[in-house]
Amino acid sequence: MTMPFTLRSGGAASWALRLVAGAVLVYVMFWIPTQASNGVIDTCITALTLMAAAMALNLLLGYTGQISIGHSAFFGIGAYTTGILVSRYGWSPFQTLAVAFVVAFVVGALVSLPALRIKGVYLALVTLSLGLVFPQLIKAPKMEWLTGGARGLDKTGFKFTKKNPTYEIFGWNPWGNLRGENVKPFLYWIAMIIVIIVYLACRGVVKSRAGRSLIAIRDNETAAAVMGVNLAVTKGLAFGLSAALCSLPGCLSAIRTGNVTPDSTNLTVLGAITFLIVMVVGGAGSLWGPIIGSALYVFVTDRTGDWSDKEAIPAVLRPFFGWSHTPPGSGIFAVVLIALMFVAPFGIVGMWHRVVRRFVKVVPRPAGTGTIDTPATAPAEA
Amino acid sequence: MKQGSSVRLMAAALAAGTLLIAACSSDGSTTNGTTAATTADTSASETTAAAVETTAAPETTAAAETGWAVDTSACIDPAAAEAPIEGTVKIGSAMPLSGGIAAAAFAPVKGGFEAYIKYANEKKLLGDITIEATIEDDQYNKDLTPGAVSKQIDAGVNLFAGIIGSPNNGAVRDTLNEECIPQLNALTGSPAWGEVADYPWTTGILVPYTVESKVYAKQLAEMYPDGANVAMFYVNNEFGQVYADAFKELAPDYNLTIVDEQTIEAEDPAPPVSQITSIAAKKPDVVMAVPLGAGCVTFLGALADAKAQNADWTPATFITNTCASSLILGAAGAAADGLYTSNNLVDVAAPANAENPNVKEYLAFMEAQKLSEIATTASAGWTTAEATVAILKQAAESPEGLSRASIINAARNFTFTPMLARDGVVDKSSGEEDPFLAQSLQVLQYDADTATFTDIGSLITEFES
Repeated sequence: MTMPFTLRSGGAASWALRLVAGAVLVYVMFWIPTQASNGVIDTCITALTLMAAAMALNLLLGYTGQISIGHSAFFGIGAYTTGILVSRYGWSPFQTLAVAFVVAFVVGALVSLPALRIKGVYLALVTLSLGLVFPQLIKAPKMEWLTGGARGLDKTGFKFTKKNPTYEIFGWNPWGNLRGENVKPFLYWIAMIIVIIVYLACRGVVKSRAGRSLIAIRDNETAAAVMGVNLAVTKGLAFGLSAALCSLPGCLSAIRTGNVTPDSTNLTVLGAITFLIVMVVGGAGSLWGPIIGSALYVFVTDRTGDWSDKEAIPAVLRPFFGWSHTPPGSGIFAVVLIALMFVAPFGIVGMWHRVVRRFVKVVPRPAGTGTIDTPATAPAEA
Repeated sequence: MKQGSSVRLMAAALAAGTLLIAACSSDGSTTNGTTAATTADTSASETTAAAVETTAAPETTAAAETGWAVDTSACIDPAAAEAPIEGTVKIGSAMPLSGGIAAAAFAPVKGGFEAYIKYANEKKLLGDITIEATIEDDQYNKDLTPGAVSKQIDAGVNLFAGIIGSPNNGAVRDTLNEECIPQLNALTGSPAWGEVADYPWTTGILVPYTVESKVYAKQLAEMYPDGANVAMFYVNNEFGQVYADAFKELAPDYNLTIVDEQTIEAEDPAPPVSQITSIAAKKPDVVMAVPLGAGCVTFLGALADAKAQNADWTPATFITNTCASSLILGAAGAAADGLYTSNNLVDVAAPANAENPNVKEYLAFMEAQKLSEIATTASAGWTTAEATVAILKQAAESPEGLSRASIINAARNFTFTPMLARDGVVDKSSGEEDPFLAQSLQVLQYDADTATFTDIGSLITEFES
């Protein structure tokens, strides 16, 4: 079958498309803190937090095939590292990110030890127990001197006052129009930087030899071992890096809300399930999947937040949701998830790839040549 | 790819199931308030039914002329904080309306809050000023509260009231204090809302948990002048921990000895059999319990079983007033008989209060709004909105007129008696000297046969002001 369009990877058209997409992305990235309302900025910070956590989980589950329902614990390690160092020892919140990264990496690597011997549902249970145990550990009376016990920790954020300086480069404020020294755009940029760090880390790993090892382990562990992949080291690194990256949005949560409690949703198993959901809906094993999934999840829950009031529901949707006494966001997302598993098991990004490939023939660049001579089959999804 | 696909499918199935359970658990929760755990919402007294006078409008007194006043020079935009509010005053809030257990417990508060706003507009309690209320869903997730609040600030909300949850209020406390937007009547009893110097724009409405602990300790000292052994059972979260810490700190002063401490997780639906077994083994004179929601019922059931197995052990049981709803205690049945608790509002569901004119007016209005099913648990929302409107009324009548600054000044120089209050309750706040509004409580004893409460002693007002 002849396709209407052909796109040569690395060709001029390919680069032009990338440039346009990049420009749009950068424009949106800067438009939000400079032009959007505080409500939109706050919603974006929520989405960015979720994106970073879901991307970290994706590295482990989507690329390595190691199921985890305990990533809320790593998120919590980040939140508590920031909380403890800021509220108990007076650190600057931003200095705590590096410490959280290291602590979570070590814990993640230790958690990988059971993963060397078990897999599938058994590994899921081990990680689930981690997610369940973490809040209990935080609440333990013997840990209270450090974690604040069930009461949690207060004043863990960055205290802004009108005296905080603004930054300008030739009259241009890179932090955005702070609108009277408003804290929101500043937090937005912190969240954005964390997402970029997590994305680049994931991309760097996935596109490298280590990433190919991860994918090999996911697809066939025995074959990967036969091909020379060191299973123990690779799994340990995947767990450690995934945990470390997941701790960063946890730090952001503590900075943003100014308090940390062990019963916070993102620190409980419900949080881990949310990370899982957005990753699967967006597309597991895809760099952009968790980003798309998180954005969609936050958009749906935000837009339906006041739908317990029937008048707030758009007239066209009122027959479907008018019966509900509570906002139907979670229910809508559950239905979307079930539907996607039938029509697009690789999530939204997978579906997008499938649709595009019906119309566009993608010709990959031959390895090592830098020139485009022979058409080949479409590349595996990455 | 086969293994990867199966992992994805397994994850998806798990996630979808969880989402559906969460969604289903919240649906319809507003019509089923039997396990709701709204604090300080209900109690009954046979003796006070006829004593409460009809008050169409909330009773307030003018602020002291030399009272506490907020410093707006610290605001990001001082002019906005002092700008007059005309025509419509917009109240914002964030509550858990979906997302599971919290939504089931707290969703009725929204109904009560909105009902009172409608009542206030119909009665024109603020004269020509119309009151608008918007309540966003934060799913009891503190990471979602800032977004819900910011969205409402963008929509021109003048103040916030009745945000539920200590972490949720804490998550927006900095923002609202920097923006100088009143954050009134936080629906938590955390003592953190008394930090007037650091957070002048934030106030709470519930009796602080520390005060409730003091009330019980005082009552125990009267019941056991030679001292008593006390076993504590509390929910293992911020709410329970604050109670427990306060009680443990007070115990030596009242000659009380803590002999055992047992906890339960807020989400754990199982009866606390092993915890109660441990307590029973110590045979304390008193069991001081701080369960939450449906946990009140399971705790009382487990305690009744333990007492039946230890015939010589008949401890006095004190239970936090989050359980003091006739609906919750009614669900516990005979197991709740004889327990001690407290409250400062009347129980709107109690037959003894059926002729109370204020209760009648409240129930009639709720019925007109088709909210009868949640009337008992919605009274906390009703009272919160009532206090908020009373503050607005006082601010509007002040020389400065209605503005964000005059609203917080009114809130911090405020004397108020809710229409559903027990006889003699007068809530007061006065700047840094008295940052907490409600601090009066009546100790009550529950009679399971008649499903009514009996006053024990008189209303305790010594912690007020």
